[in-house]
Amino acid sequence: MKVSKQEKALTRKRILRAAADVISERGYKSASMREIARRAEVGDATIYNYFPTKEGLLYGYCEEKQREVAKALKQIEDFHEYSLREQLQQLTETELALWLPDREFLTEVFSLTFSAPVAGAVNLAETRRLFNRMVEEMIDAAIEAGEIPEQPYRELFAPLYWDYFTGILAYWLHDESEDFANTTQLVDRSVEIIAMVLHTAMIGKALDLLSFLFRSQVSRHLEKLGDYTGPWKKAKRRFMDGEDV
Amino acid sequence: MSDTIPTGKLARSGIAGSALLKAGSRQLTHAAKRPFLSEPAREEQKLLLDDETARILFQAFSRLRGTALKVAQMLSMESNLMPEWFRREMSKSYHQVPPLGRPLIRKLMLQEFGKSPETLFSQFEPQAFAAASLGQVHAARGDDGVELAVKLQYPGIKVTIDNDLQLLRTLIKPTRYAKLMLSSLDEIEQRLHEEVDYRQEAKNTEWFRNHLKLPGIKIPAVYGDYSSKHVLATERLPGLHLETWLETHPTQQARDHFGQRLYDIFVHSFYGLHALHADPNPGNYLFADDATLGLIDFGCVRYYSADFVNLIPQLLRAYMDRDASQVISKYRRLGMVAEMTEDELQAFYDDVLQPFGDWLTRPFKAGRFNFTNQGVSYTAEGWASFRQIAKVRKINSLANEFIYFDRTFFGLYQLFERMGACIDMQHEWLL
Repeated sequence: MKVSKQEKALTRKRILRAAADVISERGYKSASMREIARRAEVGDATIYNYFPTKEGLLYGYCEEKQREVAKALKQIEDFHEYSLREQLQQLTETELALWLPDREFLTEVFSLTFSAPVAGAVNLAETRRLFNRMVEEMIDAAIEAGEIPEQPYRELFAPLYWDYFTGILAYWLHDESEDFANTTQLVDRSVEIIAMVLHTAMIGKALDLLSFLFRSQVSRHLEKLGDYTGPWKKAKRRFMDGEDV
Repeated sequence: MSDTIPTGKLARSGIAGSALLKAGSRQLTHAAKRPFLSEPAREEQKLLLDDETARILFQAFSRLRGTALKVAQMLSMESNLMPEWFRREMSKSYHQVPPLGRPLIRKLMLQEFGKSPETLFSQFEPQAFAAASLGQVHAARGDDGVELAVKLQYPGIKVTIDNDLQLLRTLIKPTRYAKLMLSSLDEIEQRLHEEVDYRQEAKNTEWFRNHLKLPGIKIPAVYGDYSSKHVLATERLPGLHLETWLETHPTQQARDHFGQRLYDIFVHSFYGLHALHADPNPGNYLFADDATLGLIDFGCVRYYSADFVNLIPQLLRAYMDRDASQVISKYRRLGMVAEMTEDELQAFYDDVLQPFGDWLTRPFKAGRFNFTNQGVSYTAEGWASFRQIAKVRKINSLANEFIYFDRTFFGLYQLFERMGACIDMQHEWLL
């Protein structure tokens, strides 16, 4: 039986949904592929055609979330009229809103990523790429429209924003205030600062300053090393030459 | 970056702390300069200091926004606590708070109604046109095309109110207004807690709309479909706010007309309805071209017992007659407990109450009273008497109702003064 592309995509989504539910309920370690398959109403073997590992499910769900966020943002009709600050805040708020039903799941992702940061970073690469893509799109549009100046180190911003966002998520997961009001306000305040940084192209300026300091300091020290003549005058002697050991 | 509410506790203590430091160093500068100044120069310097302290407080308050803005609004009503310019700045800031950004508006709407603003309303203006109690007001159009004023509350304001008040108390403590302001804060705290729930305000608005039937007065209809605990949609009334209206240089006739309307509302609500719109904040009135007065923002409403309503005119009458025993007996019936001997009581009456009463009843005695500030401010005089009363420690209690009544009354006089209005004070309730 030939399965259409569309059907395949739907099945994939269903599996991810089931995975998120099972992982939220049981925790990552106790969640079994078999139970996820059953919950998604696919065969025990079929699930492996879509996701060969349980890890693949975990991070696949994070990727799916980014696509949902992008879709939700596209659905806001006047989104292109938002200021960059508003767009970034909306991105963050939309992420939080869509992650809300999966807070338990996200907690699992966090603990796994932090217990194995390198593997976690590799596994989250696609999620990060999808997230950064949205941020880059907003920055590019803002520069194009002349809302903010050209950013000298433009490519640095999206990864920085990702780090910031990860921090926000961590804060949110521990936020006990009513309606997560503290997170809302933290986002509101911090995005303001971020927008300010972008409006003044501050990242570029800060890096320029750093590189100036680095160069000026290095050249000063180079002068001190004035008698440094490059390659050695003669060959180094052999290690423990002529000694009996 | 004017549209910031620094809401993290840290950020807030930072602001409060720096304002405190600034105010503190000003005090020191002032003290250090003093010995070298002549007497008039010293007085002038002192005024400058007050201005400077007020400016710093104002900055701190407006940077804190949210609760602090509200508190500042309330404090600014207490005229003589703050210099004239401070009051003016504050009355502007009722309406000029930069808006919440679209993401937060959207979030609030989704939270309250499960719909984005553009699906909920047929039209929604993302820029606020006015600041309101703990929020801001947006123009919108409902499904049926009716023009609405939609009040939105800053998300999570409830969570921060208590922290804010704690900070403000710390901020105020070292200033020379500490005692007065701190006592106001307690009452303000209570009011704020009520104001956080817009449903109460919706109820109050409807109640007044149904009961306060006076010609030339408009109270907006509430639109329940668009209202919740944190959102309040009402019909949008035409008209200008007090300061903007005054900038149009209204005629004396118009000033008198609107002043009289305000007075009529006061008398009718209190005497007829036993309830007061107890926040005579200039932002709560709209002065329209067609001479109608719009009454908005019913966040703070007080209801009075029949006893209290009956006793107040009697008290005023006793004051007008300068009848010491009647005045004291009325106060007793109003719940005043004074631990004083007869002689002390007589002295208290002579030194404090009678001057206050003379001040209070001057407009009533005149029949028609011109509140215009002609070099001497009538309300400033009254504030001095007020303070005398507050200083007396031997008065242990007074009907709670009294406090709000006093404030409203005093606030009304201040409005008249600001408007430069002539008011016909004769009213059935005093007869």
